[in-house]
Amino acid sequence: MTQYIYLTVLLPLLGFIVNGIFGKKYFSEKISGIIGSGTIGASFLVALLSFIQVLGLPSEQRSIEVSLFNWFNIGNLNINVAYQVDQLSLIMALIVTGVGFIIHVYSIGYMHNDKGFARFFAYLNLFIFAMMNLILGSNFLILFLGWEGVGLCSYLLIGFWYDRKFEKSTTSDAAKKAFIVNRIGDFGFLIGLFLIYLTFGSLNFKEVFPAVNAMSNTTIFNLIALFLFIGATGKSAQIPLFVWLPDAMAGPTPVSALIHAATMVTAGVYMVARCSVIFASAPAIMTLVAVIGAVTAIFAATIGLVQTDIKKILAYSTISQLGYMFLAMGVGAFSAGIFHVMTHAFFKALLFLGAGSIIHAMHDKQDITNYGGLKKYMPATYKTFLIAALAISGIPPLSGFFSKDEILWNAFANGGVVLWLVGVVTSLMTAFYMFRLYYLTFEGKERFGHDAHPHESPKIMTIPLIILAVLSVIGGFVGIPAVFGGENSNLFEKWLEPVFADANRKLSFYNSYGHTTEILLMLVTVTGAVCSILLARFIYLKRISIADNLSRTFPKVYKILLNKYYVDEIYNTAVVNPIVKISDRFLWKITDNKLIDGLVNGTADVILLISGYIRKIQTGVTQIYALVMVLGIGLAIFWLILSIK
Amino acid sequence: MENLKTLVDSLYLLKPEIAISCVLVLVIIMDLIMDKNKTFLPYVALTGFIITAFLVVEQYFFKTSITQNLQKLLVIDAVGAFFKLIVILASCLIVYFSLISKEVKEAFDRHGEYYALICGMVIGMFFMISSADLIMIYLSLELVSLSSYVLAGFTKNSLRNSEASLKYFVFGAMSSGIMLFGISIIFGLTGTTNLLAVKSVMAAGGNSLTFLFASILIFAGIGYKISAAPFHFWTPDVYEGAPITITAYLSIASKAAGFALLIRFITLGYVQQIDASGAWQLVAGSIDWKKFFTVISILTMTLGNFAALWQDNIKRMLAYSSIAHAGYLLLGVVVLTNQGLSAVILYFIVYAIMNLGAFLVVMLIANKIGSEEIDDYKGLGYATPFLGVCMAIFLISLTGLPPTAGFIGKLYLFTALIEAKMIPLAVIAIINSVVSLYYYIRVLKHMFLTRPQNEDLVINTSFAEYVIVLVLAVPVILFGIYFTPIVNLAKNSVALFLQ
Repeated sequence: MTQYIYLTVLLPLLGFIVNGIFGKKYFSEKISGIIGSGTIGASFLVALLSFIQVLGLPSEQRSIEVSLFNWFNIGNLNINVAYQVDQLSLIMALIVTGVGFIIHVYSIGYMHNDKGFARFFAYLNLFIFAMMNLILGSNFLILFLGWEGVGLCSYLLIGFWYDRKFEKSTTSDAAKKAFIVNRIGDFGFLIGLFLIYLTFGSLNFKEVFPAVNAMSNTTIFNLIALFLFIGATGKSAQIPLFVWLPDAMAGPTPVSALIHAATMVTAGVYMVARCSVIFASAPAIMTLVAVIGAVTAIFAATIGLVQTDIKKILAYSTISQLGYMFLAMGVGAFSAGIFHVMTHAFFKALLFLGAGSIIHAMHDKQDITNYGGLKKYMPATYKTFLIAALAISGIPPLSGFFSKDEILWNAFANGGVVLWLVGVVTSLMTAFYMFRLYYLTFEGKERFGHDAHPHESPKIMTIPLIILAVLSVIGGFVGIPAVFGGENSNLFEKWLEPVFADANRKLSFYNSYGHTTEILLMLVTVTGAVCSILLARFIYLKRISIADNLSRTFPKVYKILLNKYYVDEIYNTAVVNPIVKISDRFLWKITDNKLIDGLVNGTADVILLISGYIRKIQTGVTQIYALVMVLGIGLAIFWLILSIK
Repeated sequence: MENLKTLVDSLYLLKPEIAISCVLVLVIIMDLIMDKNKTFLPYVALTGFIITAFLVVEQYFFKTSITQNLQKLLVIDAVGAFFKLIVILASCLIVYFSLISKEVKEAFDRHGEYYALICGMVIGMFFMISSADLIMIYLSLELVSLSSYVLAGFTKNSLRNSEASLKYFVFGAMSSGIMLFGISIIFGLTGTTNLLAVKSVMAAGGNSLTFLFASILIFAGIGYKISAAPFHFWTPDVYEGAPITITAYLSIASKAAGFALLIRFITLGYVQQIDASGAWQLVAGSIDWKKFFTVISILTMTLGNFAALWQDNIKRMLAYSSIAHAGYLLLGVVVLTNQGLSAVILYFIVYAIMNLGAFLVVMLIANKIGSEEIDDYKGLGYATPFLGVCMAIFLISLTGLPPTAGFIGKLYLFTALIEAKMIPLAVIAIINSVVSLYYYIRVLKHMFLTRPQNEDLVINTSFAEYVIVLVLAVPVILFGIYFTPIVNLAKNSVALFLQ
């Protein structure tokens, strides 16, 4: 089946074309939905069968390149449209198509009666197409195409309800913000690609990575890794380019679940993992990745503590969890990072879909302070949401526990106590704000008005929730740490080992701590998480006044957190406004209006003038034509004879 | 007797030409016998063309170029077969166009004549593409010209139609006269009309000044066929006046045959050998073709593009655009390398598709609104979104912007130039493409950015029209993204060239 892996790319494209061209005019919602999710389901099947087939191969044969055709071959640049099937890309493909399929199905219910129903599915399919190119591409150019493609789809889907208001402006503004911030990152990524091409003369993985492995010049690797990482911070919403993700919540909730939680935002993590050899050759950048990851994790978690919009909380939580993944990358725990990508995809998609179900029930109201007591109205949503909240808080034996624990352990062993401590504190905060969200939403008094009639969502929405809940529960068992199950119990790490073998060889690990330390640390985090949950329960169920008192006692801290550290405002004053002013006063009024327009219009005028003369030669009189022709021949002969000597 | 035997033995090399001659005779006879119902005539021609196309494809795989047979009059090789394929496929499409063209339908009583003349042109072009002898070149050129004079004035329903035909004739007669003069001089110099023999006589040391003079005169005849400046004057008038089907046909098939002839003329008559890197080594003392073509191509594309800026009639605009494209195509000849030749071939594939497509949309719109003025295109994008979008695809491709096939064609042409270290010429060509953007996009501006004059105008497209437009529009996009097959086709065609 691996030779048909391109189907996982083509089927979504087909879905996009069919739904995009015929959807609006000819298809009912049912047909659009079936085409939209059917193609992704089929892609998932292909990916699954490929996975099973590869599982049967010995580990050194598990990396297979499926070349479709030679795309172009100009100068030294030889690019094939080729897909790489290996342990890493298969895992990602399974996550994207699997979770993607579930979310597609859910969307059939969620987008019911929307006037852009077919368009929605067309965009979603286009997104999966781009995402599959990103993760399956066997060279940097295909990866980059996918990278840009998902950015475009993200833009299209954030602004999907382009006629709706969002906060102080419109969804289009949110979409533009996401696009522009991403472009800044993409620019860095592009420079990284240029550097790679300059250094190695190729963009193909199978030529670049062995070359990196053989070289030891860290300066150029530091540069390449730095620019690649800038790209990753844009796509994966890390400091300093994270500002777009909270605004991206303007899109429909399934979009937030699919693109802004489970798949697209993990593209940066995937890219770093794919280029693990390059990063491992650049120790300084590895440290930078770890630090940025840790800082982003705790930074976003603190903001998450005080937000009241259900999707905003989840958005900050996503940023924070992505920080974890980069922390893992930075300390060289690549497989732990990808493991967290997977478990996070399960429980975060579940949280978002659950939030969507709630928003659906509460008639598009998103403020958790107006929820409360929804437990009895929405049993399925409530149960699954609780599972997801426990999973993200790292309560064993749910999936989040295993991946988070692996990251924290690696941070402690290879990154030092500080990074570990930041990770733990973040983890406690995560548990706290998730359960703040949970208690305010499902337990306690009903704080919504009488006009709201909360109800459980239809089956087509709850069944996806249940599937994801199951995955959130059992998803972690593929990565049981060695301390519990012995040497070979971490199947996930074993599976990915060959992909990261070269990188791991380059890194020096300290890892001299014993199992006792590991269990001790684990106990600390789990106990801490449980305490945080209990604290959240105490505050938000019993004594809501504590929260109010706290915010009154520390008004400044509260205000800073509520306003997200004023990052948007700082960016506006420091970057956006100066650019706008310079653009307005200088670039637009002088450079553009006078200089460029002058040049362009001047050239155009000259061309038109010349053209006017040329046109006059064409008089319509045949004799003149003949004359000019003979003159031309005469001139040519004359000139050639003169130049013969 | 010996001659006759070799002639009979080598007849299989002429299968396509023989087939098309049979079609010609068949069309005439059927036209004479069945004088009531002539609707089936196009289908006879179409079937004949399709059969011929298969024979040409067969010829493509002959692998060897055979000049020994056929009295050294003709060369049969993959490059020639490729150009024949372009001609015959264009002919098939033109027959299809004629079926849905209002102009042609109105002259239904002379259909036999129309299709017979097209067959005549095809025969002429086939011989043009493979001729290796000056007499053969002249005869085939005349055969094509005479058929096209009549076709250009075929509909007879307007003054400009007859004017086009007459101008075409006068101008054509003159250039073929000049060409014949050149041929006679060469015969006088060398005592032969065979290009290979001429080359060996001249290489042994002939009067190079006279030779140069004669070569330029012969080029005048070829330059007139490919409408290179300053032999292009007939093009706008004829293209505007002739029926659209014939205009489209002239802009593709006749140009393809002209370029094949030019390449044949240069390689047989002036190229000593092709070295390992694919560069064409000219014989000592021959004309500096590189310099000559550089000037001609700059002149051609600049004149074409600049004159197109002012045009109000879309057919006339496309005529100038096709002159400009002749200039671009000459860029591939300028470099005198196999890479350049394969770039020309690639560009011809692309050019044939996009130019036929543009003419087709113009024809379909003229069928409905009865006008070819760009001003009358206002708001047509709303009246017929399908044709509007397809027109946009064709025009963007003609400009050479990605992701269309036109971009790929230009990319390979410019790459050939840069590999031959002719960067200034590449820069001029790129500036020309930028200028061309203006007049192509102006049409789109009229179609999409201006409100329609008649809000209720709705143009319906029939199924047959949908199919043919899509047949041309889809490859333009497809080859813009997935261009490996056409690039390989171009490379393979050249691989066996003159080795």
